[in-house]
Amino acid sequence: MAEGPDPVDSMLDLMRRLPPTNVEENVNALIQICPDYADDLLGSVDQPLKVKTDRETGKDYLACDYNRDGDSYRSPWSNEYDPPIEDGTAPTPKLRKLEIAANEAFDTYRELYYEGGVSSVYLWDLEDGGFAGVVLLKKAMTPTSPDEPSGSWDSIHVFETAERGRQAHYKLTSTVMLELVTKQNNKADETSVLGEPEKKASEQGWKSSGEITLSGNMTRQTEQDWPVHEPTSHITNTGKMIEEMEMKMRNLLQEVYFGKTRDIVYDLRSVDDLEKARRQRELQKELVGFIKR
Amino acid sequence: MSSEDRVQVAASFILQSPPGEINDVLNDVRVIVDDDAGLEEGILPALREYNIAQFTTVEVPGEQHQTIVSDFARVPDTEEERYLDPRSTTSFVFNHLTLEATDPQSEEPSEVEPQRAALESAALSYLSSHYHDGVTTVLALSTTRFAIQIVSNKYNPSNYWAGRWRSHYEIDFESRTIQGRVLVNVHYYEQGNVQLSTSNDLSISIPSAVSSLSPASSASKIFALIEAEESRCQTSLNDAYHEMGEKAFKGLRRALPLTRQKIDWDKTMGYKLGAELTASNRTFGAQAR
Repeated sequence: MAEGPDPVDSMLDLMRRLPPTNVEENVNALIQICPDYADDLLGSVDQPLKVKTDRETGKDYLACDYNRDGDSYRSPWSNEYDPPIEDGTAPTPKLRKLEIAANEAFDTYRELYYEGGVSSVYLWDLEDGGFAGVVLLKKAMTPTSPDEPSGSWDSIHVFETAERGRQAHYKLTSTVMLELVTKQNNKADETSVLGEPEKKASEQGWKSSGEITLSGNMTRQTEQDWPVHEPTSHITNTGKMIEEMEMKMRNLLQEVYFGKTRDIVYDLRSVDDLEKARRQRELQKELVGFIKR
Repeated sequence: MSSEDRVQVAASFILQSPPGEINDVLNDVRVIVDDDAGLEEGILPALREYNIAQFTTVEVPGEQHQTIVSDFARVPDTEEERYLDPRSTTSFVFNHLTLEATDPQSEEPSEVEPQRAALESAALSYLSSHYHDGVTTVLALSTTRFAIQIVSNKYNPSNYWAGRWRSHYEIDFESRTIQGRVLVNVHYYEQGNVQLSTSNDLSISIPSAVSSLSPASSASKIFALIEAEESRCQTSLNDAYHEMGEKAFKGLRRALPLTRQKIDWDKTMGYKLGAELTASNRTFGAQAR
């Protein structure tokens, strides 16, 4: 066993650099190289949520590492595993009651903000007395025409609660994964680039086809204390925290995706002529010099 | 997994490195594969492939400019990795691991040097007009075909971002076409991993009048065509950003519910509790809970 950096740290650093569009293949490749770290990896690297259908109720739910036991996933609606297994990990009856109420509350949240999509909440007890949970939300859009973008939004909110008398301390780690893809196809038949309109259209043509992919994820954390009057206070409290967090993250994503990355493209190439701008500045300096004299 | 297989998987990671971060990826891969000897030998082909694909630049030994290490510039019939810098008509040996250029040698200029040099001059002028930090190389592929490569890089690791623009064109004076591809990659990684990846294939026809012009004039006209295309490409990207940011993004998740207010969670829970109480009233007397 080599001394030095923890392989898991290196794996996580790697996953922060490789294209988010390839997260599944890359995680599988890492598991093949280091099978001993499979659980660490699956638990720490966020992957796009998979949608499954509950056979009992016909309702959709989201599959991730938190509701997985072996190769089976537990539905928050029926509390059953698919494919079925014996003695799969499940919350205690008391926690299950809270889990049902939480799923209903976040189902409302989902409808109000996402107007579609799928939501799921999974809870589990912690050894020191408190409990933890994950709130999942997913919305995907398929374009109706080839010119429209396709996209998907995945929210993963993991929280821990610890009750201290009539208050509870909450830790929330939220990750949003966002991907948008646009295809473009253009051509011109009569662009008169060289001022030769008499030329045949076919002689002055251009064609272009391309694809633009904006994809990735961002993570934020918060810790807050809230009063607890009854068990369902936890749902009200985490609900408010998650709503506030998604609001902040939505603004952050908007800034980074459609502001920052675009600015970097313009840092690489300028549409305006830089030489012209330089010459103009020189000219201005000269003129100012003349005027001062 | 055998050591060879592990190295092969490592190679696939290297090929996906974002601009300016190949060393970070290599460091991670070293720890994960845990076999330095096997790795150093096994990933050389992947490093070579990465450097060529990413238009890696290098200071030409003995010169004051950089060139792009290009497959089109590979000097044939030599065992060593020797690449041509057409601007100085010298070649150098390139180490794909250390990224060093050594052993400069003088080379013969191409048969069509006047046209190539004219295109190069126009390319350099185009670079200074539109690229903040660009490098270009212009190579003669035959007497009528030329390859032009442009790369512009910006690295800002302390602010967790990096970007790369690559343009590649093949000019064919015989069929009077310019075939090209523009690739842009951006990585933003402050508390996250966000990447822009664009690919645009372009096909431009060269007006017949250009064939009868002097090398300098035809080169300048060719770059006027390229400039128009690249600028159109960039404005089109800008429009796509607007469309994705305004429409698609909003279609995924609203900023606020239709009520234009945040959720009243007590009310939400209240409705559910109310429904539960009503339900339990109906079964009251049927079974003690």
